[in-house]
Amino acid sequence: MLEINNLVKHRGTHEILSGISFKARPGRVTGFLGPNGAGKSSTLRILLGLDRATSGSALINGKPFAELHNPLATVGASLDGSGAHRKRTGRAHLRWIARAAGLPNSRVEEVLEIVGLTDAAGQKVGKYSLGMGKRLGMAAALLGDPQILVLDEPVNGLDPEGIRFIRTFLRERAESGNTVLLSSHLMGELAETVDDVVIIKHGKIVADGTLEQVIGNHSSLEEAFFALTSEKAGDTV
Amino acid sequence: MRAFNAELSKLFSLPGIWLAYLIGAIAPAAISALESMAQKEEILAGVSTRLSEVGYIGLALGVQGVIILGVLAVSSEYLTESSESGGGQQITTSLTVVSSRFHLLLAKACAVTVTSILLSVVAIMTTISATHFVLGEYTPAFEVSKLIGAVCYWTFTALLAFGITVLTRNGIIPLAVLIINTSVVSFSFLLSKVTKLALYLPDRVGIEMFMFTSDRFLTPFTGGLVMFAWVFVLFIVAAIVFHRRDVAA
Amino acid sequence: MRVPSSKKITLILGAELGKLITLPLTWLTLIGTFILNLFLAAAFTSVGLQETAGTQSILNIGLASMGYLQAGFIILGILAACSEYTGGQIRTTLTTVPWRGLQLSLKHLALAIVTIPAAFIIAASGVFYTFIRMRDTATGLEIDTMLAAIAGATGYLTLTTLLSAAMGALIRRTTPALVILLGYYFVVSPLTRDLLPGLKRYLPDTAGSYMYMPLSSEEVNVLTALQGTGILMLWTLLFIIVASIFYRRRDA
Repeated sequence: MLEINNLVKHRGTHEILSGISFKARPGRVTGFLGPNGAGKSSTLRILLGLDRATSGSALINGKPFAELHNPLATVGASLDGSGAHRKRTGRAHLRWIARAAGLPNSRVEEVLEIVGLTDAAGQKVGKYSLGMGKRLGMAAALLGDPQILVLDEPVNGLDPEGIRFIRTFLRERAESGNTVLLSSHLMGELAETVDDVVIIKHGKIVADGTLEQVIGNHSSLEEAFFALTSEKAGDTV
Repeated sequence: MRAFNAELSKLFSLPGIWLAYLIGAIAPAAISALESMAQKEEILAGVSTRLSEVGYIGLALGVQGVIILGVLAVSSEYLTESSESGGGQQITTSLTVVSSRFHLLLAKACAVTVTSILLSVVAIMTTISATHFVLGEYTPAFEVSKLIGAVCYWTFTALLAFGITVLTRNGIIPLAVLIINTSVVSFSFLLSKVTKLALYLPDRVGIEMFMFTSDRFLTPFTGGLVMFAWVFVLFIVAAIVFHRRDVAA
Repeated sequence: MRVPSSKKITLILGAELGKLITLPLTWLTLIGTFILNLFLAAAFTSVGLQETAGTQSILNIGLASMGYLQAGFIILGILAACSEYTGGQIRTTLTTVPWRGLQLSLKHLALAIVTIPAAFIIAASGVFYTFIRMRDTATGLEIDTMLAAIAGATGYLTLTTLLSAAMGALIRRTTPALVILLGYYFVVSPLTRDLLPGLKRYLPDTAGSYMYMPLSSEEVNVLTALQGTGILMLWTLLFIIVASIFYRRRDA
């Protein structure tokens, strides 16, 4: 269970998040949508303890990230990019993460197999394509077999096969009772994967509910998204 | 010309470039001021043997600014150290904008040259002011020919840094080698004690342009010429390597 | 905040060590420094042999390259700290190990574990080379003094590496950190040595140099090896503490 409560973030004089709240529940895939610069990544970074919130809280099973007993086995996260040093091999990258969490090296081979990177594991991360970097980030997220997955743009740069894999994989994770939160701006893809939708714009939540609720009378998620984001823009004028 | 303008604007918008300008403008003045203070008594008594070097010492030891400039101009094309970037290298963009690699390199070198000339003029002004401030009327006269020598030294040093970085594609080695070598404990000085040939190394001959009035090895003009030869050869090598190399490798 | 168990500390230390040794740049820097040091030792020995033989001590010449050698270790320290910020690795690090103060301390510890043997081998190789070349001409050498000097040099290089790593963690970008540290060690410090000799006892590099420099009776105001170690250690700790404070507070 992920809970975002009244989260506010200022960077300099700029307000990036102005008091957002939502939940991501176990057994469901929650899609976190918004235009570029709406505050999606900032929210996820605060949730993962990378950035500090100006006020409000982001809790994982009722605790802030830094107080988790075993973070890797609780939350698997993959943010933008591979999150790995360019000069290290993919396998070496996963091995140091595994070591920090006390996992055996055999687990590294397992996740490499899951994301389909076994053949490229000996190459330096700098040589990876965008999609391979994404797969490596995914592998790191899965290492601890966590109950919660937080993924920023998971299908960005993936080939069609990779996109289908992510879709079915995330559905399976949710159906076996895990929590999945993913951000994206690929509407068509999202509509096929998610159960719940949260839409953010200019640091404010403009819609929160099940996929059906958010789509409402619109013909598709994409239509609903544009209606919501441009309608609200009209309101603020 | 458009490529040159583009390179100039890249050079002024680089992250970390402020350090180059700051050090370039302040370091020589600070070093000269300190040196003048230490020498003040002897100068006032008229017994200083190093009067002619006062001021210039700052320009000799304070070239780090242009070294950083030359290195960053190239290394920034290859290195991305932001936590958000997915590891993209600017060089691929640069090469799709200016398709001729030779033109790109030339435009970059020209931008570095122009910027380091400007920076050295600023440095000379701050250095002369600082020396005047400390020594007042005892300040030795600054000869124009020597100041031109200092500007050449700075520009050539920037271009050397530029050329080496094109070869290494990584800023660490050229920065370390060149900063150490312009200091009072330079490699070249050590080598020159082992073999006289080391006196022909670029930094040694470059300094001849405005320092070492007592025991000089080359005339200022030949010194400048030899240093220019180093720069020229390095640029040719860099151009050939840059032309042949795969960008992504 | 919960205090992580000792098992966890061992695991994190292992991960930090793993990060360091799987980084090719670590090895390149160390091997490069080793080779460079042998060249420098050769140069200093040639110069020493040209000068009046017999008056030079092997230790003085063998450790004369320390001034340059430290550059390699400064680079090592900066690389260890700044490599976190390449490719967004810091996000992976902090989502794996969110206890920031602990993580940074253990990173320094891992760095020390790698640096100590490397510094010892490199410092000793320089002295050994000089010994081979000069054993006929130079004055006799006691093994105790030699070991003490090499141990001091190892300590000095290790502390300098840790200080550089703290500086790297503070600045987060390789180039500015490198410029500031090299600028201090090779430009600012040599100048202040001549112009403001009073400061010599308190600056990290000059105070630290007493850790390995053979005591000469001519100089006044010298520090003992132990005092030098103390002052350099204080500087290193100060930088590590400042770096941890910033590291814990700021957005990654």
